[in-house]
Amino acid sequence: MEQDIQTWVNLAAYLGGGLSIGFGAIGAAIGEGYTASQANSAISRNPALAGDVFKSMLVGQAIAESASVFALVVAMILLFSNIPADSFVTVAAVFAAGLSMGFGAIGSGVGAGFPAGAACVGMVRQPSVSGKLTTNMLIGSAVCQTPSIFALVVSFILIFSDFGSYPLWPTWGAILGAGLAAGLSAIGSGIGGGIVAGASSEGIARQPAAVTPVTNIMLLGQAIAQTPAILGLLVAFILIFKEFGASDTIAPAMALLGSGLCMGIGGIGPGIGEGIASSGGVKWIARNEKDIGTLTRTMLVGMAVAESTAIYAMVISLVLIFVV
Amino acid sequence: MEELGKVYQLIIPLSGHKMVFNLDAIVYSWIVMLLILVFGVMATRKRGVIPNYMQVLGELFVSKLYALTEDALGEDMAKTYAPLVCALFMFLVLCNWIGIIPHLEEPTKDLNTPLSLGVMGFFIAHYVGIKTKGFKAYAKEYFEPFFIMAPLNIIGELAKIVSISFRLFGNIMGGAIIILVVSYLTYSILLPPFLNAFFGIFVGAIQAFVFTMLTVVYISVQAK
Repeated sequence: MEQDIQTWVNLAAYLGGGLSIGFGAIGAAIGEGYTASQANSAISRNPALAGDVFKSMLVGQAIAESASVFALVVAMILLFSNIPADSFVTVAAVFAAGLSMGFGAIGSGVGAGFPAGAACVGMVRQPSVSGKLTTNMLIGSAVCQTPSIFALVVSFILIFSDFGSYPLWPTWGAILGAGLAAGLSAIGSGIGGGIVAGASSEGIARQPAAVTPVTNIMLLGQAIAQTPAILGLLVAFILIFKEFGASDTIAPAMALLGSGLCMGIGGIGPGIGEGIASSGGVKWIARNEKDIGTLTRTMLVGMAVAESTAIYAMVISLVLIFVV
Repeated sequence: MEELGKVYQLIIPLSGHKMVFNLDAIVYSWIVMLLILVFGVMATRKRGVIPNYMQVLGELFVSKLYALTEDALGEDMAKTYAPLVCALFMFLVLCNWIGIIPHLEEPTKDLNTPLSLGVMGFFIAHYVGIKTKGFKAYAKEYFEPFFIMAPLNIIGELAKIVSISFRLFGNIMGGAIIILVVSYLTYSILLPPFLNAFFGIFVGAIQAFVFTMLTVVYISVQAK
């Protein structure tokens, strides 16, 4: 059987497309299931509001699904578009694009379920603020999608860039590493951002007067919890756009692949941890608005400390790229 | 689909080096500045006790952002830094919204725009830190909790520039790519207006606000 480059590129595209929507389906489904369970518990407390809760459940689930829809778009493009096959690097790029989007959709899908669930429960507890709760849920779960948008950017760059002039060794390691860095690091930030948004929806239901400060601090917490995903995006960009000299040994390719893995896996924990740290801040600001200054400062310092492990991972992955 | 990632550049050779200008980003940010100037003139012209539409809008903008700055920085510093915050937010929000007009693109889609604003915020924050605490107390913070942590603390500070600018860039760039690809896949039927409303107006406003908030918070963390 003749196996030219085009065959391999098609093979990688099919495999990448399958993995993209396969992994991408995990997160959204979990998030949507959580939302539905919270909606049911809300309805059982106050059946009179069943209509409102049902509506807000559907809206929340629709947003939680958008990460999966991104993965579906990437999978469709990988399956149906003709990707020009210039070199074997394209094989790695197409496969990495699928992996990046697939992993990247997990966190945002799970995360976006938390604010939707909290909004359903909150609506029953405090029916008069259901409008504000819906707005807060929409903002929170939209910001939750940011890590998956970063993974989407990386996978589009991987699909549509021309890697023809790059040497196969060690570029394939860099390309695969870029996909893994952007995809894996988005998991933690997505879940973390969701935890923060959920705490904020709950807080608004408890203390409707505190809508503005709680929403502001929620945005701040989510933005900082996204830092690991952004560092993953940075490492992915460096791995894609830096030109690496051709090599005969296997070591440089492995160093570049390791660098991507290091940033990707290293970003999962800090993202979730920062989300938990910030959810505490948001939750207690809603109950004790008077001490917002002290609470915010403690939250920010705690998040910075939780973030330091992501920075260690970034230092090691930059060392792997530039020194080794 | 061919437009994806295409950048119009003006390259001027200058004694061995090349000066590269990204024309898109420059022209569109000039358009945004022009719009802000027009808004400013309209809002302040014919001021009165009974305000007209534009004056109401302008007062709303300024008073909301002023209150936000005052919450984070205190009354004294808000007088100095609130104009910066207002200008930053207005510039960013118009930058992110301008992409919904056909044939115009967001200047923030070019990494240079958010990165330069991020570097600006970084320098202002550290200037405030040195000014309020004195250089000695400012420098001492880098050696906490241990002496050997200094390089990591410095990298952590620099990572703030990366995170603030890549967040804006990634969101706007991602939204633009999604709109382009989905419009291409569906032959521009039905979906693009909704996508523009979500990624252009909604996400654009949120990200502009997040960028502004983070700049204020970085300043307030340094000041205390």
